[in-house]
Amino acid sequence: MSTRRGRHALAAIGLLVATALAVTGCTAGASPKPTASSSTAAARADATLRLGLAAAPANLDFTSTGGAAIFQALLGNVYEGLLRLDQDGKVVPLLATGYTVSRDGLTYDFTLREGVKFSNGSPFDAAAVKFSLERVKTWKANTPGNLAALDHVEVVSPTEAKVVLTKPDATVPFWLAGPLGAMFSPDAVDSLATKAVGTGPFTVASYQTGVKLVLTRNDAYWGAKALVKQVDLDYFADASAAANAMRSGGVDALYQAEAYDQLASFKADPRFTVTAGSSQAVVVLSMNEANPALADVRVRQAISHAIDKKAVVAAATDPYFVRSDEPYPYDPAAAKQLLADAGVTGLNLTFTVPNRPYAQAISQVVQSDLAAVGITATLQTQEFPAVWVDKTLTQHQFDLTVVNHVEPRNVTNYGNPSYYWSYSNPAVGKDFAAAKAATDEDSYITHMTDAVQAIIKDAAGVWLYNPPNVVVATAAVHGMPTNDLGVGIGLAGVSVTG
Amino acid sequence: MLLTVLRRLGVFALTALVASVVVFVLLAVLPGDPARAQLGLDATPDQVAALRHQLGLDRSLPAQYVHWLGQLATGSLGISYSTRAPVGPEVLNAMQVSLLLVLAGMVVAALIALPTGLLAAVRQGRADGAALSAATQVGISVPSFLAGLLLVTVFAVRLHWLPSGGWVAPVDGVGGFLRHLVLPALALGLVRGAILSRYLRSALLDVQREDFMRTARAKGMTRWQALRRHGLRNALVPVVTVTGVELAGLLVGAVVIETVFVIPGLGSLLLRSVANRDLVEVQAVVMVVVLLVLALNLLVDLVYVLVDPRLRRAR
Repeated sequence: MSTRRGRHALAAIGLLVATALAVTGCTAGASPKPTASSSTAAARADATLRLGLAAAPANLDFTSTGGAAIFQALLGNVYEGLLRLDQDGKVVPLLATGYTVSRDGLTYDFTLREGVKFSNGSPFDAAAVKFSLERVKTWKANTPGNLAALDHVEVVSPTEAKVVLTKPDATVPFWLAGPLGAMFSPDAVDSLATKAVGTGPFTVASYQTGVKLVLTRNDAYWGAKALVKQVDLDYFADASAAANAMRSGGVDALYQAEAYDQLASFKADPRFTVTAGSSQAVVVLSMNEANPALADVRVRQAISHAIDKKAVVAAATDPYFVRSDEPYPYDPAAAKQLLADAGVTGLNLTFTVPNRPYAQAISQVVQSDLAAVGITATLQTQEFPAVWVDKTLTQHQFDLTVVNHVEPRNVTNYGNPSYYWSYSNPAVGKDFAAAKAATDEDSYITHMTDAVQAIIKDAAGVWLYNPPNVVVATAAVHGMPTNDLGVGIGLAGVSVTG
Repeated sequence: MLLTVLRRLGVFALTALVASVVVFVLLAVLPGDPARAQLGLDATPDQVAALRHQLGLDRSLPAQYVHWLGQLATGSLGISYSTRAPVGPEVLNAMQVSLLLVLAGMVVAALIALPTGLLAAVRQGRADGAALSAATQVGISVPSFLAGLLLVTVFAVRLHWLPSGGWVAPVDGVGGFLRHLVLPALALGLVRGAILSRYLRSALLDVQREDFMRTARAKGMTRWQALRRHGLRNALVPVVTVTGVELAGLLVGAVVIETVFVIPGLGSLLLRSVANRDLVEVQAVVMVVVLLVLALNLLVDLVYVLVDPRLRRAR
């Protein structure tokens, strides 16, 4: 397998159960690359980019507060790591100039970029790397366990840091390119919730909780300076309020636009461009295997066959986003046969549904599809996140549920038997462990693929669709990142013309 | 007068205490864990337990309540679970925003109610009076959020005259402040104005049947003059009563309007802190709202005295 193809496969696995779930027809005027600045109008260096987003950060500290909103705004803009993900999901150096991995996979030698300073004036050096990475153990949120293999960091010289692992872990570079790899100034972590100090191209000017986060260009930045002077991140709890702001000129762009019903009218309007890039998210209908009926693989396969995924996608998002290969194609007859084989009749299931539009829409389709094969699903709407997380995720009080899983590489949750769906297949756990311990890419991919194939065969979930990352922008905005990789929205390369 | 003030303060303290207990119990009964809400979907049970301990959520409910009361006694509204900052400044800021919005809504309502109510009363029985009356009936039936959406669609999305939402503090520019205030104030004030207009009309019609009005007309005043000199002031007493009741409704209406127009007032803050199960912040907002409603009631009582000279001697 050539390296290029290897990366391709790696990226594919990165999208949860990717072999089962390739979104092929993202034809919503999309190109996966950032929009080219072909316009002749000059970008203004003193411009302000006003970007509309949905979920707002609770505070500025992603080491102690969950949710993607915080690092989405700050990573790559205010904070930077040794490595980063490019728009194709490839790990590339950022504050490191490069690294080498020892043959046993236990040590990573990083050489660091020189002359980099934090926005408070402190130098970025190997001591900061040691401080930041060894501090991950104390993080309270954003899956510090993904870097559990990290033992300690040795300061070889100010520009050389040696990261030492307790056991080989092929996923370390990927996690270092995300929030866990962010570099903090050792003298500026006392009030992370309100003050963000990083090495990035922007600094935080102000944050009005839940309303507006203002970033200003860091003119002392070590690399290419940001193309706009200021970025206003405006948070809209209501998708139609966001769409109205876009139409009335209140914002220049919407990132992860949720008002799917409005996309057609944005596309029809020549003032706007609409792009649908990829995201790390997957919408999953999960079946609680603590329920004896659902512990039978035939019943799970029957449910998988019973659901018309095309109808689900049309109901929940937009008929534009159609997907292709399907491990369990829509086939009610096959579903009935499987249920008969399993000897299951008159199955009654409690279906907990988050009170979000996508989930509500999906639940209606699923309920009627299941009724058609003789399964009664009782819908129970739950406030999301508070109630759903409590009742369904934590206390496992459900038979069926549906949720949009946004965490990158979360497929490994199928290796955790105590996760909310109670799926357990020891072979899958072994494959994930072997993949993590792999010291070369081919072996990593082989083990991951084996695990994913087993999960699909077991029908551990019904993977409905990958939500697209929809970006709506005015013609004056150039270079908006289109793919959401589960890290920050890199805004330094975005310009505003005219 | 002093006794009245003391009694009012006592009522306030009692109301606030009862409200705080009710909110505390309601949020405790409500499913959803504040620690979980902060840490997100992928937090481990150990992490959640550690944060619960840190926030003091593992103590008994009465103990948590007493701790909160103790904090309040020292003048602190507490530290928010989610922002990790004192909630006092945030709540005060949101309160100012909501008050400005309610005030602007009230001004709009008065500007609508006074002329339309007067005209509808004077022209009662004629075509234009009936038309006005019908128009206010329609105004009452339009929910304020719908009015808000319609205003946004017409004036922001289609005509681009005004912003579709957001908020600019007066200190950051009076022009921007006013531009952002117009649509939400209209949405809030239209319905209230229609309601008040109808009350004013019927109050004026009642007044016209009074003896002193007939006397005024007998002295040679026109119907209009009599209304202006003698009718309006007497008709205002019931209108002020209604306004007092309506003010609480205006605050509640502001919650909806804040959502439609993305305004960072008490309503938005309350919704956000309930979603985060941020008990400390919810309590603070509830305290402030209770205080506001009681203060508004006091204000209404004072206005009575201004409108009706007889009440001045009675006290």
